[in-house]
Amino acid sequence: MSGRTATGRRLVLMGAMATALAGLTVGATPAKAATVNLLETGSSLLYPLFNLWVPAYTKANPGVKITTQSTGSGTGISQSISGVAQIGASDAYLSDALMKMHKGMLNIPLAISSQMVNYNVPGLNATALRLSGPVLTGIYGGKITKWNDPAIAALNPGVKLPDHGIVTVHRTDGSGDTFIFSQYLAFSTPSWQNSVGYGTTVSWPAAPGAIGANGNPGMVNAIKTTPYSIAYIGVSFRQAIVQNKLGEALLQNKDGKFVALTIANVKAAAAAMTEKTPADERISLVYAPGADSYPIINYEYAIVKAQQPNAAVAAELRKFFTWAISPEGGNAQHFMDAVSFVALPPAAAKLSAAQIATIK
Amino acid sequence: MSFRRVLAVFAAVLPASLIAVRLFLAVYSWPAVRFNGLGFITSTSWNLGNTYGSPIVRNGVQVLPGAHYGILFLIAGTLLSTLIALVIAVPIGVGAAIFLAEAVPARFRMWLSFFVELLAAVPSVVFGLWGYAVLVPLLGHYVFPVMGRVLGFVPFLGGSTGSGSGLLTAGIVLSLMIVPLIAATLRDAILAEPMVVRESAAALGVTRFEAVWKVVLPGVRKILIGVTILATGRALGETMAVLMVSGNALNYLPPNIYSPISTMAAFIVSQLDSALQDPTGLAVRSLAEVALVLSVISLGVNTLARLVLYRAGLKAARV
Amino acid sequence: MSGVMASGGMGAGEPAREAARLLRMRRRRTWSVAGWGLCAIGFGLLGIAMGWILLMVLLRGFSALTPTVFLEVTQGTGGGLLNAIEGTLVIGVGSMILAVPFGVAAGLYAAQFSHTLFARAIRFMADVLVGVPSIVLGYFGYVTMVEGLGWKFSLAAACITIAILCLPYICRTTELALSQVPAAMQEAAFALGAGEGLVAWRIALPVAMPGVVTGILLAFAISVGETAPLIYTAGWSSYMWNGQLVGSPVGYLTYAIWAFINEPFASANALAYAAAFLVTFIVLLISVTARLVLLRRQGGR
Repeated sequence: MSGRTATGRRLVLMGAMATALAGLTVGATPAKAATVNLLETGSSLLYPLFNLWVPAYTKANPGVKITTQSTGSGTGISQSISGVAQIGASDAYLSDALMKMHKGMLNIPLAISSQMVNYNVPGLNATALRLSGPVLTGIYGGKITKWNDPAIAALNPGVKLPDHGIVTVHRTDGSGDTFIFSQYLAFSTPSWQNSVGYGTTVSWPAAPGAIGANGNPGMVNAIKTTPYSIAYIGVSFRQAIVQNKLGEALLQNKDGKFVALTIANVKAAAAAMTEKTPADERISLVYAPGADSYPIINYEYAIVKAQQPNAAVAAELRKFFTWAISPEGGNAQHFMDAVSFVALPPAAAKLSAAQIATIK
Repeated sequence: MSFRRVLAVFAAVLPASLIAVRLFLAVYSWPAVRFNGLGFITSTSWNLGNTYGSPIVRNGVQVLPGAHYGILFLIAGTLLSTLIALVIAVPIGVGAAIFLAEAVPARFRMWLSFFVELLAAVPSVVFGLWGYAVLVPLLGHYVFPVMGRVLGFVPFLGGSTGSGSGLLTAGIVLSLMIVPLIAATLRDAILAEPMVVRESAAALGVTRFEAVWKVVLPGVRKILIGVTILATGRALGETMAVLMVSGNALNYLPPNIYSPISTMAAFIVSQLDSALQDPTGLAVRSLAEVALVLSVISLGVNTLARLVLYRAGLKAARV
Repeated sequence: MSGVMASGGMGAGEPAREAARLLRMRRRRTWSVAGWGLCAIGFGLLGIAMGWILLMVLLRGFSALTPTVFLEVTQGTGGGLLNAIEGTLVIGVGSMILAVPFGVAAGLYAAQFSHTLFARAIRFMADVLVGVPSIVLGYFGYVTMVEGLGWKFSLAAACITIAILCLPYICRTTELALSQVPAAMQEAAFALGAGEGLVAWRIALPVAMPGVVTGILLAFAISVGETAPLIYTAGWSSYMWNGQLVGSPVGYLTYAIWAFINEPFASANALAYAAAFLVTFIVLLISVTARLVLLRRQGGR
């Protein structure tokens, strides 16, 4: 880019900051080098999978370099919109307002993920507590403040709950986990829907003692070090949960059943929602109907600009995503198992492939 | 004269960049200032609104439904953690400075002083690392529960002692970061006080400590005040270390000294990417307003420091 | 040397007054001992905390240092730190290239024309700029350069931001060093007919050079230890710097500390400690060097 355009832009800057913020980008990096550098940033839930994918993929494709960053879906969304990153990893799709504002953004599901509700209650971590949307709404809303609250006790007959305050842990970074967790609360509990709603960042009601943690790793560390705490954590961190002997709750689904997070239950929920998935694939899979459906599952998205700065980058992106959603490539069973994800159902994979083809 | 002019052009970059940053903050946050009004600093609610809803127009500004920005909890967290840091750091800093300047034999003094000065250079994130990996578990598991039981009757010291991440921990880490600054500056000042001051005090029949405490220390009072205010400025703006040990509280005021908090500087780091998702751009501008408020506070503190030093200097000159 | 000096010419007072005097003196002595004790405790607390921090970084960091750390780039949350080591040095050098000419010029102006209004403005602004929290500068850099100018996460955005951060330090240390240059030296040069430029360049600056260099070294140490402003300007990259000024992110050590201590995996934590060791080591090494530069000057006199 020439110095003159840069100066010109600087002059325009002060007056037109709104446009600048909206993602004014200079598609200027020419493809001089043979290797293409891609930056992946966003979801800490998707991060462990990308860290498995990238070495496997780049080994077979030395022409591309991919940096991965665990920053939260919020960052993934905003930095792919602004073009700072080429691949925005997100557990959440873009809102209608953002889609209208930034034409040509793609939300490409790469796999299906799910979310655990975990806790660290000394003596009860081996017991799978039963929790429901309304009870979690009470806990995160600051209304249910003790573990032996009647509302929790009613769901868990026979379990000796401690008379101890609950420390809620939520994400500080803009997060797809916050998005799907708040959707679970909103879809199951009208009062949450009407007050807090859902989003990658929500205004958590004041629950004194509540801790904000950075990324899924921060959530794990926070409940690990804080007795009597509760958190929502992406399933790709299940190994860390098991290792640290933390509790994992059974959640009440739309049919009123308490279900565990198992591959079969995630698949049941996915099956109920796949057919409803529209062509742009922006749909919440949370609170799916069905007796076996696990209530908090979601598409893991790559947020990508359809219009790339140059053909080389576009070609590498198409190639990488095609590999990623293929059952022989990124969606292979051993990758999915490593992070407890579920491969895309064929119908969804087909929609993703159609979206990938539009990257130019 | 042309040398001076060329030099002035180069030298002007410093003031120019400061003005650019200031101007940028003011201009950029202006829509937020208008929308948020005074409630920004008097209410406690950072709420982007419904990020998946359609933007509406309120007060002539496009916003998300339900958006409200109030950062009283951040201002409280920032000021309280700084206050705790000062309460811990000033006595320790003064003590360490007197010890270094008056009690240590000259040949060790250089090495010990050197040690203190090196500490001032340890990066913020390393303090944060220590706080996160060592101090938080230690305080949360062993110290705070005991403190809560023993001192529980004192307001603000009782109640739930939490996880170890919070106000007091942030204050302690901050105090460690500013103690070297206070100690090193004050030591230099004490050493620079003429020997004759001490000797004449001694001639009046006071102990050596009394000479230091009642004669030398008052002599360097203005420097102590100046460096304390300087340290305040540093603590107010400290980011990484606080981010790692504060517990990142959102939307509530700390009920006690163990409670999680957040500070303005840490909040800017942790919220910028969330804010960028507000399609109306108001969240980012409100964050600029946080930066503006922080800048105004630190500008105030710095100006105060200069004013105090200037006045004290005048008085000292007259005496 | 301690103890109470008897003020001479006391004379033979009444015994009661004498006893009261002794009591008072004993109390004062106790106070003094207690005072010294408190000061020692103050220093002791400082020493213990600091020793603890350094020891933690040294022990945990050193045991995490493997050849891999220096030979390989980061792979997700594992691998090495070669990319970050390189990035930290490139950012440090880059920001010094930007900051030194302007910072030294500002300091030179403030010292040589100290009576002027502009010099006073520079001094005040430098003090205010020191007080601007680094994250505010990072925020400024992100919105103006990374997004506004479309530079993306880049070396240029990082270096400019860090340069602004370092300017006031370089300016004030330069000014301080110059102000200690004997006025007589410069006056003599003026008397011989030398111009302002000649005096500044050939007399004042060379004499003050050790002080100036110390300031630059300390500013470099600051750039190595900064985190917050870099998160939003340099971004992070797990590959080596590709030689481009704009468009591609750069890795740096402090990011590795912040991001990897948060991961629940021991391998990631080890990388964080290794990075902390390297950052602390580099910063302390620079500080010691800066100190030696100053000492040598003092010794030479």
